[in-house]
Amino acid sequence: MDCHQCHQNNGSCGSKRSLRWLPFGENFNRLPIEPSGPQIALVGMPNVGKSVLFHALTGTYVTVSNYPGTTVEVTRGAMTLDDRAVSVIDTPGMYSLLPISEEERVARDLLMSEPFGAIVHVLDAKNLGRMLALTVQLLEAELPVIVAVNMMDEAQRWGLTIDREALIEKLGVPVVLMAAARNWGVDQLRETLADRLASTPAPVLAAVG
Amino acid sequence: MNALSTIRSSDPHWIAHLETQDDAMLRKLTALGILPGNQIAIEQRFPSYIVSIGRTRAALDRETVQCIFVTREQHPTTA
Amino acid sequence: MSLTIQYLEPIEVAIAQIETWWRSGWGQDFADRHLSSRSFALLLLQKDPNLWEQLPGDRQQDLEQLIATTQAQLNRPISLEIAQARQGFAQAIEQNTLAEPNPSQRRWGERIHKLTVNPISGFPILVLVLYWGVYKFVGEFGAGELVDRIETFFEGQINPVVNHVTEQVIPWPALQDLFAHDYGIITLGIRYATAIVLPVVATYFLMFSLLEDSGYLPRLSLMLDRLFKAIGLSGRAVIPIVLGLGCDTMATIVTRTLETKRERLIATFLLSLAIPCAAQWGVILGLLAQRPAALVTWAGLIVGIFLLAGFLIDKFLPGSAAQFYIELPPLRLPKIRNVITKTWVRMKWYFWEVLPLFIWASAIIWVGRLTGIFDWLISGIEPIALGLGLPKETAPILLYGFFRRDYGAAGLFDLQQGGQLTGDQLLISAVVLTLFLPCIAQLQMIIKERGVKTALLMVSFIFPFALAVGYVLNWGLNLFHIAL
Repeated sequence: MDCHQCHQNNGSCGSKRSLRWLPFGENFNRLPIEPSGPQIALVGMPNVGKSVLFHALTGTYVTVSNYPGTTVEVTRGAMTLDDRAVSVIDTPGMYSLLPISEEERVARDLLMSEPFGAIVHVLDAKNLGRMLALTVQLLEAELPVIVAVNMMDEAQRWGLTIDREALIEKLGVPVVLMAAARNWGVDQLRETLADRLASTPAPVLAAVG
Repeated sequence: MNALSTIRSSDPHWIAHLETQDDAMLRKLTALGILPGNQIAIEQRFPSYIVSIGRTRAALDRETVQCIFVTREQHPTTA
Repeated sequence: MSLTIQYLEPIEVAIAQIETWWRSGWGQDFADRHLSSRSFALLLLQKDPNLWEQLPGDRQQDLEQLIATTQAQLNRPISLEIAQARQGFAQAIEQNTLAEPNPSQRRWGERIHKLTVNPISGFPILVLVLYWGVYKFVGEFGAGELVDRIETFFEGQINPVVNHVTEQVIPWPALQDLFAHDYGIITLGIRYATAIVLPVVATYFLMFSLLEDSGYLPRLSLMLDRLFKAIGLSGRAVIPIVLGLGCDTMATIVTRTLETKRERLIATFLLSLAIPCAAQWGVILGLLAQRPAALVTWAGLIVGIFLLAGFLIDKFLPGSAAQFYIELPPLRLPKIRNVITKTWVRMKWYFWEVLPLFIWASAIIWVGRLTGIFDWLISGIEPIALGLGLPKETAPILLYGFFRRDYGAAGLFDLQQGGQLTGDQLLISAVVLTLFLPCIAQLQMIIKERGVKTALLMVSFIFPFALAVGYVLNWGLNLFHIAL
């Protein structure tokens, strides 16, 4: 991989990764991603089917690397939207924007330091209310949020229905109802992402630091 | 107001108060929907506590259950 | 942004104050962050440590004062008030958007859930899952059957070719050994990674992904939480510990998922002391199969040491006990496609993570043999072996066992086939090998994950401890004239 993030990865891998006597490390598995292409991130609490959605979007050609200075893994992959290569980052599970664990800190650092064209907040339809609390925090931070209400298959089986239009109106951001494990709504999410990326100017790469 | 660990029945109770100074625990409980004003019911006590909060189900250890205080009725002053 | 939550009055006042500060210059220090002033204010009111440490001292003081004034007007901690306002807001949205017109047809999942967590049916289910999933599938099928087949293939088809080509290309036998022959990078390092570790890891990850996607894993954790609390761990540690029965190196990586440093340390230690990997226990079971008394003694000793070591380290290691709270997702039928994708991605990741370690192991063996350091070490180990009541032929087995955990056990197998070991000697060497140093790949992983100091500390305990247990065992067997 050739984006600025990974140079950071190679150069300053931090204290825990300082064992440079290992000849090959986490960057052995390279992935060609257009360096200046847009990036999107998947965020959400643990157990909402985030990694299944990630693989549904990107396939299995991904890199797993440690976030600089930590043992937390961040998975990156690529997808094509409107003939454009878009890199996708699967962030570690987070409960709130105020981190407790190292994983949450990494997830938040990523959101705040990297330029994302869109941030997909994946949540579990059955626990909509509980999980919207994080959506609210992402919106307070004025991040480009798209809400992906996942696990709709289970919600349906439980006899639940969700009013998408009402949700869009309340939140003021795009909402997709889906079940990534069954490949429901994944195409719709792609379209929503494409619209979002087309309507915003390509993000300027922030200075490394 | 009673600690959840002392509740014998499996009926839902109202969460009144969380007795902990540990910020990490407080936020994890919040993330599970365990916070004042919500309802919680005990489903099982052994080998671990299993509780349900709305459509969420969680397993907790004894120490955690001991810091959740509940009332039978919704109490306007504690909510 | 159209969406704004109203917090309690004192909090809104404080937010407004911080936003004023933000506009008057504080914001400039955070210009490279994607962060709104309101979000910044809310995080600082909850004393976000990362943002806090970037503020100069005088600003920290201003904030301290603001937080104190705000807190004084509230009944409950600021962060709880903020969380509750958000939760209330989110619940209100849910009430307006989510309906439950025909509640609940989740009967079968409910029933199975009850069975898996009820102590009467739950523990037998747990034992069955571990027996079939770990012992039968990973242990017998993965570490036994598959390893045998791939090994045979390597030894019959690939190694001879590699040896031949190497001998043609490289004229110096000493250098040939680096790549080929018994301990070469290709013939040992790569073969070990593909033939022994890969099948174990593949079967393990497949089983693990199945358990994960079905939602059983958190239930397994809750069933074992109490037991694990006694050894300083929480139910979450079930995952790395069970994983250790597949491959300890991989399990050491997975200790990352544990919440506290203390828990990660205890788990890493117990893994390297008393959890034999599949390659190891597979051979030991075969070795002791004809001697049930020795087998039971071995298992009893290892389980006893595992529990006792955990109990003691929990008692004396400072820090607070692990907490356990875990969400229980509904049980569901895993989607095979997703399980396979997950398994594949994990295997790929793991393979690249461990391959270098095995290549290094081969290189180290090469240097050790070439320089005569190994001969010197073996002659140093011989008296130790004799002290344990073992023949001196076991010395090289102990040394090489460190480089390939199963090599040690396999070496014992050869000795046993030759009728060179008594039952007592088999038991002692099986116990010592199990407790002995973690294999070199695991050691490298401990260094990587826990640091050199911790790794050295662990090794300097485990090494003499394993020998001491062997010594005491030998002494006890002799004292009571027990011949197994």
